[in-house]
Amino acid sequence: MATIQGYLVLSALLFTIGALGVVMRRNTIVMFMCIELMLNAVNLSFVAFSKMHGGMEGQVAVFFVMVVAAAEAAVGLGIIISVFRAIQSVETTDSGELRL
Amino acid sequence: MDILFLIMAALALVSGLGVVLFSQPLHSALSLVLNLVVLACLYASLGAHFLAVTQMIVYAGAIMVLVIFVILLLSIHGSEKRPIPKFLFPIAVAGAIGFLWMVVPLLQNSFNEVVPDAAKVGVMDGSVEAFGKVLFTDYVFPFEAASILIMAAIVGSVLLARRSTEGGK
Repeated sequence: MATIQGYLVLSALLFTIGALGVVMRRNTIVMFMCIELMLNAVNLSFVAFSKMHGGMEGQVAVFFVMVVAAAEAAVGLGIIISVFRAIQSVETTDSGELRL
Repeated sequence: MDILFLIMAALALVSGLGVVLFSQPLHSALSLVLNLVVLACLYASLGAHFLAVTQMIVYAGAIMVLVIFVILLLSIHGSEKRPIPKFLFPIAVAGAIGFLWMVVPLLQNSFNEVVPDAAKVGVMDGSVEAFGKVLFTDYVFPFEAASILIMAAIVGSVLLARRSTEGGK
């Protein structure tokens, strides 16, 4: 039988993998996807806690995280495209000067 | 242990590592799609059926299509030209292990509640009806605020991504 603890440990592992990706990669799109990974890890623990307490509040929180992630995807990818148009690259090392 | 949970957890971890380790961004994106689908299955095994469907439609559908579209539009392929220095890798991994070393012991003693087998979870737990009741009574103001947020995001992304029209092309 799986316990809540199993879900929480899985969530912690996924969050760590996502954080490692943000630290170790220089491609902004891959970093963006790693942020999505971290958001999803936290969502999993929200759902697990919601199951544990038998309420719906955790699931509503996950719903709003999804809303914010969708907004973040739209704006983040817009920024990536406009930076690419300016410096022809999506790597953070190439935009280190913070000017165009 | 529930064998279904173990399979899904292993798949989630492998595909999560794939996102970080694949050198091609497109492979990372496809790995992330697999991860999101597996997470949707985990939500369903916890009884959150509405969230499982939403995860498939919004994340694996809309958001990942947008990401893959941008990868193809900018035709980004191959690994980074200037990756982070090699000596930073062990430091990053040590930091990650330190983080897990802090967090996982916190989870060890409590939270032993057993989740029913993933195969025979009840239907009514996270149904659309139960979810909608909470969303449209207690959380109706955040719900409306979310619509304003989405509106601002749409307008902002159009502004950011459009070509400036002043200088001709």
